[in-house]
Amino acid sequence: MDFLWHAVSEKEKEDIKKQAKAIMDSFSKKLERAKIDKINEDGIERKEGERKEGEGEESDSSFREGMFSNFRIKDSESDSKSKNEDFEHAPNKNKGFIVAEKGGW
Amino acid sequence: MTSTVENLQRYLDEIKKNDKQGKKINAFLQLGDEKKLLEEARQIDEKIKQKKAGKLAGKIIAVKANINVKGLNASCASKTLENYEATYDASVISKIKKEDGLIIGITNMDEFACGSSGETSAFGPCKNPQALELIPGGSSSGSAASVSAGFCDMALGSDTGGSIRNPASHCGVVGLKPTYSSVSRYGLIDLGMSLDQIGPFAKNVYDCALLFDVIKGKDAKDSISQDSKKLDLKEVEKIPKGIKVGVLDFKISDERIQTLIDNKIEQASKKYGWQIKKIKIDNIDLAIETYYPLVYVEFFSGTRKFDGRRYGKRIENSAGPEVIRRILGGSEISKAEYRGRYYHLALKVKKLIEEEFSKAFKKEKVDCIISPTVPRLPHKIGETISVEDMYGYDALTIPSNLAGNCAISIPAGKINNIPVGLQIMCDKFQEQKLLEIARGIEKMGEN
Repeated sequence: MDFLWHAVSEKEKEDIKKQAKAIMDSFSKKLERAKIDKINEDGIERKEGERKEGEGEESDSSFREGMFSNFRIKDSESDSKSKNEDFEHAPNKNKGFIVAEKGGW
Repeated sequence: MTSTVENLQRYLDEIKKNDKQGKKINAFLQLGDEKKLLEEARQIDEKIKQKKAGKLAGKIIAVKANINVKGLNASCASKTLENYEATYDASVISKIKKEDGLIIGITNMDEFACGSSGETSAFGPCKNPQALELIPGGSSSGSAASVSAGFCDMALGSDTGGSIRNPASHCGVVGLKPTYSSVSRYGLIDLGMSLDQIGPFAKNVYDCALLFDVIKGKDAKDSISQDSKKLDLKEVEKIPKGIKVGVLDFKISDERIQTLIDNKIEQASKKYGWQIKKIKIDNIDLAIETYYPLVYVEFFSGTRKFDGRRYGKRIENSAGPEVIRRILGGSEISKAEYRGRYYHLALKVKKLIEEEFSKAFKKEKVDCIISPTVPRLPHKIGETISVEDMYGYDALTIPSNLAGNCAISIPAGKINNIPVGLQIMCDKFQEQKLLEIARGIEKMGEN
């Protein structure tokens, strides 16, 4: 196979998935020969999270403008100007907010 | 002395001549607006006249397409993010701008950094400026190629398993992977967050050190980032004394490459009185098998944000085969039923390799470990090659990512007119020593 980019069909995805699993299986088999019994679990498994949630940051107007243009909100100016079909999954916008899709995530 | 305006104009002319036309290198995905760039260059020249300019004044810098530069496309060379315009500057970009570096444009790369050849870009492969029919290496293909082709002074890339050093080796330029956590990744679109590191490319070791000096340091926006030792750029020019060089004991199939590297080390030893010692790193032969399960799982996790709702297209519907392979493979092996296998096992071997490196630096007391950067010469663009062979390109670069060490690739010579890189690896946060040794070896080629 060559590694040049091409669009991937559903059939090819199935083949790639099987191939990826086979590669991982062969890699995993080789890793089992390493002497890992002396390795402790520090930094490998964590029972508790360490992240503390803050208040977040206020974004400035240019950030919001740029972000919404990237979000491709349906019926927005950037949406109507676009000639491609990037927006099939895009949610709706209400003023400066994105409307969550109930059950859609 | 050449002004920033003259320097910029020279590069813009060369890009026009050979990037999309002429040699068709395809190193750039996007250039900054020419008028704005020239205006910025004039402002920098004014600052230089007033002696108020920053450390990077006059330098023209290209940036890999997975690093956010406000107003330019951070597409990761993928159709998934084809229309994504960065809304902010990555921390490394803010630092470069503060020191008056001028960002000329965004470079081509393997799609989402998934590749070692520069072929997987959705916008066409990048060519190797030193051997046009061959791959430039990857994933920071366009950054290495842009420096090698004479399109800029310096460039930024990212290195998860060799993505800076590998293309630096194939394109005959200098590429540094800094110590893990020494450079902020805020604004980098991740491949594998436990391994990713942003680093510089340049035409020589000194410029590489200069750019690293600007981008390094703790950043509140990247919680794992740390301050590193102060870099003394003047010391980089001096030849370090009493160096004990570890030569990596690792068999590669292309003996010509190993011979070239061995000769270079011997020359340095004779010229500078450096000691040489063979170093064996246990389990280094498992580096590829350790690296890919980690990257598959972390990449799968990191790409869940590209669901088509926020950044345009859904990644699974718009990416090429190598990206799909890593996503589907990562999804499969991170299933609850495989807990304790694959990722967990790979984390343990990663730790084992990290400890082996530590032993070499602390117990064997070597200052550095030297090896070829890449174990083989680059293949022809579009040539048939197995997945395992493609992954094998990074067999000698991955170990430093797993250990978190710093490593650099510098040009060592040529085989059949194709550049070959020499890799120097040092312990964590030993960039000063690494750069001094690299500069010493670089100087031998200047005499």
